[in-house]
Amino acid sequence: MERTLTLVALFAALIAGLGLIPKFTLAFGVPITAQTLGVMLAGTVLGAKRGALACLLFIALVALGLPLLAGGRGGLGVFASPTVGFLVGWPAAAFVTGFIVERWRGNLALVSSIASVIGGILVLYVFGVIGMSVTLGKTLPEAALLVTAFIPGDVIKAVLAGLITSALARSRPASVLSRG
Amino acid sequence: MISLTSPVETWAHRVPAGVKLAALSLATIGLFALEDPAPLALAFAGSVALVLSGGWRFAGAAARSLRILWPFLGLIALWHGVTGQLAEGLAVALRLLAALTLASFVTMTTRLTDMVAVASWLLAPFRRFGLSTRALELSVALVVRFTPSIARKGGLLTEAWRARSARRAGWQVVMPLAALAIDDAEHVAEALRARGGVVPPEHTG
Amino acid sequence: MLELRNVSVKLGGTQALRQISVRAAERRIAIVGRNGSGKTTLARVIAGLQTPDEGSAEIGGRDMARDRKAALRAVGILFQNPDHQIIFPTVEEEIAFGLVQLGRPRAEAATEVQAILARFGKSHWASAPTHGLSQGQKQLVCLMSVLAMQPALIVLDEPYSGLDIPTRLQLMRYVGEVEASVLHITHDPESVRHYDRVIWIDEGAIRADGPPAEVLRQFEAQMRLWGGCDDLSDLAG
Repeated sequence: MERTLTLVALFAALIAGLGLIPKFTLAFGVPITAQTLGVMLAGTVLGAKRGALACLLFIALVALGLPLLAGGRGGLGVFASPTVGFLVGWPAAAFVTGFIVERWRGNLALVSSIASVIGGILVLYVFGVIGMSVTLGKTLPEAALLVTAFIPGDVIKAVLAGLITSALARSRPASVLSRG
Repeated sequence: MISLTSPVETWAHRVPAGVKLAALSLATIGLFALEDPAPLALAFAGSVALVLSGGWRFAGAAARSLRILWPFLGLIALWHGVTGQLAEGLAVALRLLAALTLASFVTMTTRLTDMVAVASWLLAPFRRFGLSTRALELSVALVVRFTPSIARKGGLLTEAWRARSARRAGWQVVMPLAALAIDDAEHVAEALRARGGVVPPEHTG
Repeated sequence: MLELRNVSVKLGGTQALRQISVRAAERRIAIVGRNGSGKTTLARVIAGLQTPDEGSAEIGGRDMARDRKAALRAVGILFQNPDHQIIFPTVEEEIAFGLVQLGRPRAEAATEVQAILARFGKSHWASAPTHGLSQGQKQLVCLMSVLAMQPALIVLDEPYSGLDIPTRLQLMRYVGEVEASVLHITHDPESVRHYDRVIWIDEGAIRADGPPAEVLRQFEAQMRLWGGCDDLSDLAG
């Protein structure tokens, strides 16, 4: 009970921390937020249930008014902006990612990357596109067209999530709980 | 950790949080029901007036929270300029501006503790399905306590990287950071147990 | 009254503690040993955080690992790294937590928090954010949090490591004034020379047990001897 609670809370804090690290840059010098990488890791490392809970806790705190999103954003305004779906979809994204890693016992790096693509991109974009379509008054295909530009960056993040997960498993096997 | 509540005290700070949140929900539903630019322009003007009632400094801070909309406003202008559906474009832009302004207004005028109080009131019915509000309180405290420390460790790892490499620190820093978060979680779980755990033994009889 | 009977603990394949038996009622007890000698595992057993694989650990006749309710009143533990112990964002919340865990109503807990802060002359710390404190200040907050719960025995696990000399001396003074019994785990003989009893743990077993003058002399002689060797190259397991 204590362990589940602290793991969920600390991963929510990790996702927040990833948005706060100054001058943090991913591959190719793209200054994109590492927070969705944190969401994928919540799934691949903590597993479906705990990963989803960590994201849910994070979103709840953002709604309450804590500036936990990259760039110090937060508050209810986030939920009225066009990107709302890309935040609200986090728990589902982490859940699906974690679920795949838990069930599919193949090569961890590969499985984690594929799981992150399915959970962290496919599932997340379903939420994201619906959110954009509603807020911007566009049809679903139109909204989907608007976000395609971000997919390559997210695929990189999914690959990184796989590499990080397998590196974690090699350096300290006990910490990859989705395979525990 | 600082919250987004405005240090500029306005009349709205004294309105109960539940009232503000209920009004915001209704207003947002209303905004999405409107299709015509004219009433939406009126709604936006109303939300601007609301923000201005808090004074210039307060309004300035509120305006900064609208910055995330710029790329989208540009996108809408481009899209509807090309397709020629100007009225629709105007309606979408005004709706977004009004909804975001109102939401920021509520966040800026409501203290974190009041927000938490409303949240636990809303969650109270779920207690009978086994939701532990105590566990929830603890996890909120833990996130607030550990976010700065994880960010600081991330900064230190980035420093350690830079001390030994000409290239900028990258994703490699995330692995030790995740490991640290897991370590911290294990230690804190133990510290929690040392002082009685999530459900103190008294309560279990 | 602390009583350990043939305590053995296995951690991930290695034998951390072997057949430890101790009966102790002294007010100031020190446990010394090298890094990895099993000291911390012993501290966790005494605090009831680690259930022994064999044997039993009791304080006042109660099993600390099983009877957590009794354990909360019998024993408090101060971890080596205060960052591992502080759970809350502010000092007052951190100290109040243990009191609420003991079943105190919030208002009463708040008064007791004020009282303990005042006793240490730190009333102005109440609403300070815990992550902004220095290492020594954090350790003092942890000590106050444990003292607030008024346990009969306080276990200190290397509480002074990483602190500068003035900070260490100040904390030692605070610990010296503690009314409860103290069981102090350390590798530094200096900080426990004035204690009532010293137990030396080596490779998970008791190597010596007696008055500080005698045990610490043997301990220091052995440490200097080992200091001349190179056992850093040995890998565990």
